[in-house]
Amino acid sequence: MTSLTMVFAMVCGAVLQAILPTWRWLGHANVPVLMGVVLYYAVTHPRGLLLGAAVVGGLLQDALGMIPLGYSSFCFCVVALLAARFKDMVFEHELVTHMFFGALASGLFTLLLYGLLAGSDVVVLRPRWGVLKVFGSVILGGVIVPFVFETMTALDRMLGNVESREL
Amino acid sequence: MRERSVVVWVVLAAVLLAVLNLPASVSQRVKSVLREGLAPLQQAVTGVTRKLSETGRAIRGIGDMADENRLMAAELVYLRNEVRDLKPLEEENLELRRQLEFTRRSPRKLIACEVIARDISGWWHTIRLNRGTGDGVVADMAVVTLDGLVGKTIQVSSRTADVLLISDPSCRVSARIARTGSFGVVVGTGETGGGRVVCVMEFMNKNVPILEGDEVLTSGLGGVFPKGLLIGYVERVYRDEAGLFQRADVVPKADLGVLTYVFAVQEEGQEIDDYLRRQQLQEGGAR
Repeated sequence: MTSLTMVFAMVCGAVLQAILPTWRWLGHANVPVLMGVVLYYAVTHPRGLLLGAAVVGGLLQDALGMIPLGYSSFCFCVVALLAARFKDMVFEHELVTHMFFGALASGLFTLLLYGLLAGSDVVVLRPRWGVLKVFGSVILGGVIVPFVFETMTALDRMLGNVESREL
Repeated sequence: MRERSVVVWVVLAAVLLAVLNLPASVSQRVKSVLREGLAPLQQAVTGVTRKLSETGRAIRGIGDMADENRLMAAELVYLRNEVRDLKPLEEENLELRRQLEFTRRSPRKLIACEVIARDISGWWHTIRLNRGTGDGVVADMAVVTLDGLVGKTIQVSSRTADVLLISDPSCRVSARIARTGSFGVVVGTGETGGGRVVCVMEFMNKNVPILEGDEVLTSGLGGVFPKGLLIGYVERVYRDEAGLFQRADVVPKADLGVLTYVFAVQEEGQEIDDYLRRQQLQEGGAR
């Protein structure tokens, strides 16, 4: 059931991410809904589900855009594993830490992906825009990830995937 | 426990390596399957959000209706006059064509498409259409609105097509200035709509004077974009006295930020057909 919920959340996140607007002053960075879902599974679920979420989320993001298949999965895996590694040290179930974690993870994901895309000459983007996009991802990650966490927590509770006290 | 962890890492690395090194055809097929699976959902969500936004606009606009009505009445008078002026020109044009025994070319087929999503990753300026190979859309087809050129199709599945917008830095369109006939290449700057400059026309002969407001059309060279499609207008010209070329900022006529319906142009290498022009006139008349 938890895996099904994860796939459902990923699909909804991907569709939402595709229709949400982007802003010029944030480098046209997309609202990182999928990143939020991956991060949620990274810090609240076992490692198997974390990797599943990273791979599924990455495949969806790549399939719905022009990114070569596998690039986003790789970046999601790196970010999610780092998040899981440090979750005991810095992560508390509070809004501010969700924001901080979301901003950091989202920025790191965009930076990694930019490195991969620019390194393989897949994307034509001036460095100025790249920096602006990373900045935009940090801001949007900080704003959107707490909402994703709240929504996912509510969904998991509603479906009985976790007990209230676990979260 | 440690052994299990190592196995997980090895399996993960193997899966990622396999996915990253998939042959292009397999990768494209996987993408197509996922896209087609999600297309109906994307279309439904886009439809709902569009309706909500229209409702919001309508509610906000109630207060401005009287002013809008006055403006529309004035615009109607202006457009009627314009249509009256255009009629003799149209007749003259038809007569000249008959006299020169122009063989009437079959009108280019336009495939109407609805925009169902934008690029999910944010790295490219693309839109997704609800038409694919099953409807006659293939890769490298020009995509237009009634206002002008929008972009070209790049990745096409049986029911969806992705369009690279002319505002994307990787989109290059061979173009010419309508007034002087000088050639150049229109490249996106990475900006979108809102009256801002979103394209630059490069490699234009610096000895041919280019003026602000000059019309920029597709040249037909390169084989993707048919000749004569309106791209936009020159906003600013930059002359480099030491260089061989001049360049100009170009504002596309089509508003790339608010695309809802577009047309994929099925035939290539011909001058813009009457169909588009008739549609433009009809739309102008209806307004």
